[in-house]
Amino acid sequence: MKDMKKIFYIAVAVVLAACANDDTVLDMKGMFSPQGETVNVRFQQSKTYNDSVGDIHLNMQADDYVIYVCTDSHITKKAHRNLDYFVAQYDAANGPKMALHLGDLIDAQKNYACADSILHIGTRTQADTLFITPGNHDIYFKQWSVYRSFFKSSAYWFDTRNGNKKLDLFICLDSAEGSLGTEQTKWLKDLLAEKSQEGYRHIIVFTHTHLWKLDSSQGHTSNYALEETYELTYTLAKYGVEYVWSGHQHARQHVTFQGVQYMVLDATKDDEKGQHYMTVAMGDEINYAYFAYPQL
Amino acid sequence: MKKYLCSLFCVLGAVGMLAAEPGFGTREYRLTVMGEYSYNKTWGHHGNLDVQSLLPFNDYFEMEAKVQLSSANVYSGALQFRPKFELPVGEMFIETDLYYRAVVRNQLGDLTAALGVGYRMDYVSVTLGMYGRVFDDWKRDWHTNDTYVVEPFNLLYRVEVFCRPQDTNWNLSFLFSNIDDYQMERMWQPLFGVGAWCDLGDNWRLVFGAQCKPTGMFHLDATFYGATFRTGFTYRF
Repeated sequence: MKDMKKIFYIAVAVVLAACANDDTVLDMKGMFSPQGETVNVRFQQSKTYNDSVGDIHLNMQADDYVIYVCTDSHITKKAHRNLDYFVAQYDAANGPKMALHLGDLIDAQKNYACADSILHIGTRTQADTLFITPGNHDIYFKQWSVYRSFFKSSAYWFDTRNGNKKLDLFICLDSAEGSLGTEQTKWLKDLLAEKSQEGYRHIIVFTHTHLWKLDSSQGHTSNYALEETYELTYTLAKYGVEYVWSGHQHARQHVTFQGVQYMVLDATKDDEKGQHYMTVAMGDEINYAYFAYPQL
Repeated sequence: MKKYLCSLFCVLGAVGMLAAEPGFGTREYRLTVMGEYSYNKTWGHHGNLDVQSLLPFNDYFEMEAKVQLSSANVYSGALQFRPKFELPVGEMFIETDLYYRAVVRNQLGDLTAALGVGYRMDYVSVTLGMYGRVFDDWKRDWHTNDTYVVEPFNLLYRVEVFCRPQDTNWNLSFLFSNIDDYQMERMWQPLFGVGAWCDLGDNWRLVFGAQCKPTGMFHLDATFYGATFRTGFTYRF
């Protein structure tokens, strides 16, 4: 009976923790209806911004360059040691480089200012750029407007170049609520149909929510609906996407399906088991390596 | 674990003592044909045709076979074998399911196999189990390892609450589950449904159903993803 009580209390605590923000306000409503802008609205606002600033072409000034990739840092004002380390490693690296964060930058509300002080979002130059995709923690509890004020867009594409030579295409998708929505899905298909004909060396998609549920290590986090899983995997394979990088699960996973390699990264969150970030050496071939965060 | 199972059955038994009426569960063959209107954000508007048959071999074993043809260019089939045991209150059953969905539009197959334990009374039916899934690429290249993806252990759950005893001539039910007649969703992707039937004489039954699938419930940012409405007839003999 004691065990039953313990399980009940743990279950309640898990639900409360999942639903609480920094002010420990329980917001169960998000489980049943959207509490902020839906993915279609976020996509339209992102598209408007993208159209206003034009296409992003990163001139790497070399064919080979390095990408630093991390995910699920879940920072709070008190817990951001691993993200600090990731940024320090990135800043210290020589040569052409860029960085990707695959979502869940913050843990809950009121942590974007802290993220800004670590990432220096506004002062990074075009050749030294951080790209990010939103995770569920970044936008729920009506945080989209704050996210948008820092990062402007949740769905976009950019490419890397060496002078006029096209290198690689990167597509960022907003999967923060476990679905791409109708508008973004259509945009993705149109974009891939067009760009897959332009001779890019590699096409890489990055987003927060992972496609496969190989185990239960992600706890109470969800994937896409089955119909969307079928359609998305088919679309990515059809247009020659080589890699899909995502997070959300907090545990590394590598699956190849229909020729597309789906990689889920370990979390960057402090004090979590198996924290790693990834570096990717981009060239004619892609080589990746994982690096553990230092333990205290 | 045994303690928890015992506790679960005690609770269900207690509910059953309050809720059950004698006469639950009749042995009859059923053939059902239904038409569906369905919408989801990926496939858009589409229609489905369902054919289902229930074959009770004896008092302890029944089998269901189901086929669905969808205008979304997706074809599904299900086979369910169900050993069952009459209890003083209600009925216990073992759910062994095999589902296959041929997603022709995306050139892949989705095979799921499930094993569960269920308990049904006049007003409540509960099933709990596990299932495994294989996504299979039809354009497979045998020289690579990218032909299929296995999702080995998923939780299966289904809770249906009825407004009236199940052997009455009309009923209304509410469903919370991650499976339906033709799909097994991941455990964090629940489906919500409403069902109803009305007997038209001794052999014919009019059936209705509606189902809603949200996404992102456990992202704490749930949105509507899809809905299905179905109606048809069951012939019982």
